[in-house]
Amino acid sequence: MWTSETIQMIISGIGETLYMVIASTVAGYLFGLPLGILLAVTDKDGIRPNAVCYKVFDTLSNIIRSIPFLILMILLIPFTRALIGKSYGPTATIVSLVVAAIPFIGRMVESSLKEVDAGVIEAARSMGAGTFTIITRVLLVEARTSLLVGSTIAIGTILGYSAMAGAVGGGGLGDLAVRYGYHRWQTDIMFVTVILLIVLVQIFQSVGMHIASRLDRRK
Amino acid sequence: MPAIQVNHLCKTFTQKEGCVEALQDISLQIEAGDIYGIIGMSGAGKSTLVRCLNYLERPTEGEVIIDGRNLAELSERELRAQRSGIAMIFQHFNLLMQKNVLDNVCFPMLIQGTKKNAARARALELLRTVGLEEKAKAYPAQLSGGQKQRVAIARALASDPKILLCDEATSALDPQTTASILDLLLEINRKFGITMVVITHQMSVIREICSHVAILEHGCLVEQGEVEEIFNHPKSKVARDLILKDRPEGSWEGDATWEGESRQRPLLSADKKLRIVFSENSAFEPVIANMVLKFGVPVNILRADTKNVGGVAKGEMILGLPPEAGLQQEMERYLTEKGLEIEEVTDDVDE
Repeated sequence: MWTSETIQMIISGIGETLYMVIASTVAGYLFGLPLGILLAVTDKDGIRPNAVCYKVFDTLSNIIRSIPFLILMILLIPFTRALIGKSYGPTATIVSLVVAAIPFIGRMVESSLKEVDAGVIEAARSMGAGTFTIITRVLLVEARTSLLVGSTIAIGTILGYSAMAGAVGGGGLGDLAVRYGYHRWQTDIMFVTVILLIVLVQIFQSVGMHIASRLDRRK
Repeated sequence: MPAIQVNHLCKTFTQKEGCVEALQDISLQIEAGDIYGIIGMSGAGKSTLVRCLNYLERPTEGEVIIDGRNLAELSERELRAQRSGIAMIFQHFNLLMQKNVLDNVCFPMLIQGTKKNAARARALELLRTVGLEEKAKAYPAQLSGGQKQRVAIARALASDPKILLCDEATSALDPQTTASILDLLLEINRKFGITMVVITHQMSVIREICSHVAILEHGCLVEQGEVEEIFNHPKSKVARDLILKDRPEGSWEGDATWEGESRQRPLLSADKKLRIVFSENSAFEPVIANMVLKFGVPVNILRADTKNVGGVAKGEMILGLPPEAGLQQEMERYLTEKGLEIEEVTDDVDE
């Protein structure tokens, strides 16, 4: 049963999972970070309050976040097909992963930035710093640790979602678990993929936390 | 031309529960090179007032004129440029916790677009001024409160300000550290001629370094003038309260370590009491002893202390007078004739 074929399949499953997770996280931050900054800055206690702007992006994030991921993937099939030409496989999954990750990451970033001590922001304002300077030189710098902790949480969540995508032919370890473990009753393969997922989450989590605490100057 | 001129300033905060009038019709003038104190109990509006001076808070009414420029007429960009000439230090230091001391001091110069090397050189020089050169690579979390405030002062000086606003800068520090920070501020005021506005709730801070003081209560300016004048003749009740509460930390609070103090305590709330201020020249003659000899009636010395008012030692004494009204008046007249500053203490001293 543990032929080299099976092993090869599992290895390529790990590869696909890593590909999906890393690519989605990067793309997710590409859009989620600006979204989070926008939310933190335009909120009523932010450095540049703007009720309309906040409300629009706040509502939009809530809407996307309230759609269960599996359903979001199905809803996005036409969009994914238009974008990359097919609706299954790892690359197609990345599209839905990114769409789901953006509002999630946005919220994480928003809450990290809101933790920054208002006094430090006031000090920067008293020196004549403008909004952009405060964002790049105060908020993002002071919230660094919290942002990194947030990103490890985001990676864990995205990994979980990527496995869920296996149910609709998404590729990666989740796909193997569903196809072999569920449809073909090969419990051992499912068992192995689950353990591998656990190990991956552990690795991401401990590496992320290690970097975050190494870079924290508050102690 | 005064360095800072405030005309009929009002600030109202609109909240869900209604309007809060934080400041009402405040007018004051601060001359260049002065150390101007603003004192009041917490909630009196001091912090709001100081934030109106650099427009971190926009006044609802009235104007703030810095060096002849009305801040209300400046654009956002001009206002930011103006702010770099008005530095500020805070109760909780407000340093960047993720940046080291040197980068913190460089920060305002970075905002102004100073070249990195020039900024570093200047930052090191400023750290030398505040006595923290060897901590340049340390992070704020590794410093004590006093050291953090020194870094904040170096940072404030980095932009070559004409004005330094100190918002409760010593309130989070112990008495010894407070004294050393006040010395540093005084030194900076003399060396660089920076005009300072010092917000505090401690009369001792005002006494030690300020030349002028304004007393705030519930958003209103109740008294202002030279520190010495107000120390000698406080007119308002708040001023009197603040002066009477001004004593070394812990000396009257808690359990008295000296038994006599607890025996004195009931006397402090009884009879007629006078507060007497001795200046240098009145300290030579034994006035109290002579008075007792002259009237043949003892008076009770309830408290005696010397205080540093702007670098000059002042004696302060609270006397309990005998109960006869006629005698009291004569004694008061006697003391006034001898050139002492006296005033009646009406409230419970040990409040």
